[in-house]
Amino acid sequence: MRKPLLLGALVFLFLFISTPAQTPPAPVSDLEAIDAPDDAGNQVDLNWKPSPDETRAANPVIGYQILTAPAVDSPFVPIGTASFGATSATAKDGLKNGRPYYFKIRAYALDSSFAESEVAGPVVPQGSWWNTKPAYIRIFIWMALVVAFILYNIFLAGKKELYIRPIGGINAIDEGIGRATEMGRPILYICGLGDAAQAATMAAFSVLGRVAQKTAQYQTKLIVPCYDPIVFSICQDVVKGAYLNAGRPEAYNEKDVFFVAQDQFPYVAAVNGIMLREKPATNFYLGQFYAESLMLAETGFEAGSIQIAGTDQLIQMSFFIVACDFTLIGEELFAASAYLSKEPEQVGSIKGQDWGKVIFAGLSVLGVVSVLLENKIHFFGFFKKLMINE
Amino acid sequence: MPEMVSITIAGILTLGIMSFVYKDNPIYKFCESVFIGVSAGYWFVSIFYQSLLPQLTDKIGLTGELTDSALAYYRQTGSLASGQWFNLIAAGLGVMMLMRLLPKIGWISRWPLAFVIGSIAGLRLIGELQTNIMKQIKESILPLWAPQYADGSLNLAASLGQSLTNVVLVVGILTGVIYFFFSKEHKGVFGGAAKVGIWFLMVTFGAAFGLTVMSRMSLLIGRIDFLLRDWLHWLG
Amino acid sequence: MNFWEKFALLDRRIIFAFIFLALAVPLFYTIRQPIPVSPEGQAYYEAIENLPAGSKVLLSFDFDPPSSPELQPMAEATFKQLFTKNCKLVVIGLWPQGPQQAEKALASALKDPRFADKKLEYGVDYANLGFMAGEDVVIQKMNSDLPGTFPSDYKGNATVSLPIMQGVKNYKNFDFVINFSSGFPGTREWVQFCVDRSGSKMIAGNTAVQAPENYPYFRSGQLLGLLAGMKGAAEYETVSNQPGKGISFMGAQSVSHLIVMLFVILGNIAFFVSRRKK
Repeated sequence: MRKPLLLGALVFLFLFISTPAQTPPAPVSDLEAIDAPDDAGNQVDLNWKPSPDETRAANPVIGYQILTAPAVDSPFVPIGTASFGATSATAKDGLKNGRPYYFKIRAYALDSSFAESEVAGPVVPQGSWWNTKPAYIRIFIWMALVVAFILYNIFLAGKKELYIRPIGGINAIDEGIGRATEMGRPILYICGLGDAAQAATMAAFSVLGRVAQKTAQYQTKLIVPCYDPIVFSICQDVVKGAYLNAGRPEAYNEKDVFFVAQDQFPYVAAVNGIMLREKPATNFYLGQFYAESLMLAETGFEAGSIQIAGTDQLIQMSFFIVACDFTLIGEELFAASAYLSKEPEQVGSIKGQDWGKVIFAGLSVLGVVSVLLENKIHFFGFFKKLMINE
Repeated sequence: MPEMVSITIAGILTLGIMSFVYKDNPIYKFCESVFIGVSAGYWFVSIFYQSLLPQLTDKIGLTGELTDSALAYYRQTGSLASGQWFNLIAAGLGVMMLMRLLPKIGWISRWPLAFVIGSIAGLRLIGELQTNIMKQIKESILPLWAPQYADGSLNLAASLGQSLTNVVLVVGILTGVIYFFFSKEHKGVFGGAAKVGIWFLMVTFGAAFGLTVMSRMSLLIGRIDFLLRDWLHWLG
Repeated sequence: MNFWEKFALLDRRIIFAFIFLALAVPLFYTIRQPIPVSPEGQAYYEAIENLPAGSKVLLSFDFDPPSSPELQPMAEATFKQLFTKNCKLVVIGLWPQGPQQAEKALASALKDPRFADKKLEYGVDYANLGFMAGEDVVIQKMNSDLPGTFPSDYKGNATVSLPIMQGVKNYKNFDFVINFSSGFPGTREWVQFCVDRSGSKMIAGNTAVQAPENYPYFRSGQLLGLLAGMKGAAEYETVSNQPGKGISFMGAQSVSHLIVMLFVILGNIAFFVSRRKK
């Protein structure tokens, strides 16, 4: 009996001697807290020198916790963590603009013991009016340039006629209307599935106005099934206005412009049904389209209609090109809308965007040259950093 | 049993819609109407209970007291959910939109329309600039000669491959932009570059077409699988 | 009229019948084919695999039932991989039927016997906050106030009462974002308003139609992974070793593509022969 007890005591003593005492870790040092720049006033940047006990063999530091309090003698609450090896972090949870905060960093060891740093602060996070990061400066410059180009060209377009190159599908619009009139069959006009704020839909409204004016003059039926309720409201106004301008308000039938469904495939099913029942002579697909583009174009082809399409959805273009008679590719839709309406705002926008494209192409070429010459000519090195740095 | 009834109805409606490939017929018309009606009903219920009620009544307590979710938010955060009073303004704009139904005062609906169009255009402006222009310009800054090294020595085949990729990318970007330039007629060198651009576009459209064929086949596979497995139990 | 002239006038319903058979018949057989994994698909898998255990992930279901043959297999396999890593999942939808699709995918993933022992609990390990109208404005608003944007969940519980939503204010409280989309609003809007504004890390599963628009975002690093259509689902199931409908449907997909290619070639021959004769 004595021998096992003695043996156990010896083992315990051995373990006690050989296991070093678990001391709490050393805290981080030189904690610095500064207001984070370019934010809404709810972030503070913290920098520190890491705990020297990150590298000790026994019970090393495994991570850090960020603590904050509104006053030095208030309880500090955790608001974030930093991983092992970190020397900086951004405190962002729960901070409010304009209020002072004090910060501490708690260094945690493997055995959950910890040590807290000196208090840093007070720091008052302030919101910034401007975001001075290079990425945002670039956006601001670009936006300012393009807006200036567009406004200047709108001003010019009001004074004189600005040149827009002829676009292939534009004549097809008038031909399509003429065909429907000769055949005594209606025109189907689809403004796409986009909402009213999208550029393609706005271009579709513009062309719809012109088409409606012609159908009012020629007394051809115009059917406009709509997907979006707001687009439906605007289409009603556009068609009604066009009929008024053509001097034929009595010819306007409000049932010809109607809302179908704000669900993609039910809308397509309904429009396909209309195509096969009404057998329109000409179908216009102008606006924003998605997966239903090929279904619409195929059914229109089957119904024997000539089809004129235009969308900025590049992926859907392939189906319109294959199945339709005339296609306005991407931005040609906006150019066609400007070309037909001759409104200074639209023409000026197209010209302003063209100036923007020149800048875009120039920047791309300059960028490619910069990569080649960045190490030889200082300017190109600087330019590359300007374009790439975030 | 009830599940089998709904699956049978779904199967019959699927076949009804598919009958369109033969020709338009009354069964297709009936199924189309059911599809549109059910879809409209589902959207209405979904938007009413998941969007309108939580954003409107929950936050501004139209029932005279805070609903459960708003109360829980208040207890936890000490404030009412953000945008509480803004939602009243939004509700007002929504009512103005409904004025469209009354011809005499239908003009009132133009104000919320203008608000929606203007605010969304503004919101999207920065997003488009940041994501689709600035970041893409950044990614188009590529070396035309991109040497690739393996074990310290130049891998000529890989270098040529990467360089060709970069050249194709840069030429594609520039000629594509030239094609969509509307201030100059497509003649001479400029016209030649625009032609190269349209070739790039057509290759893209062809690739997109191929992917869409796959997408359409996937949809049909899903439906056929439903008919054969879930309805007729012909597939294990 | 020779054969090619008759072929050029072939009734499209005969082509429909061929396509139907090409899709239906392979479903009765097990067709094994190699599924090479694209760099985008590999990146999608690795992005999830490299997540630390217990990460909080936001998933957005922006599609409806017509797109489910392509996106549902991706979603189910994604849920399974995330549950394997003990991630906490919060689901939202910007399309009305999106949350319903998420419920189906969750139900399928939770049936997996691997997760029976984990005793995954709604509100603690996963939650479905339902649908919110507003499209890209919703994505923008979540940047500042996520619980305010989705005040109640799919079942009507207050969002802030769910344990998984404690301390969640915006995207910065999530370690990762995953988007399944088939149109608008979709991946493009998420990249614009979530990734680029808040610096979130994101991967996406798209229908094959939408994927080409989003490849530039993968190239630029704005997306860390991208699955495209049913092929993408099959790639993901292959690389994550979770065979499902994505792989099993690829046989039918391949046969139908061969039939389409055959008709395209024959149709073009017929077109040029007829034109030459004229």
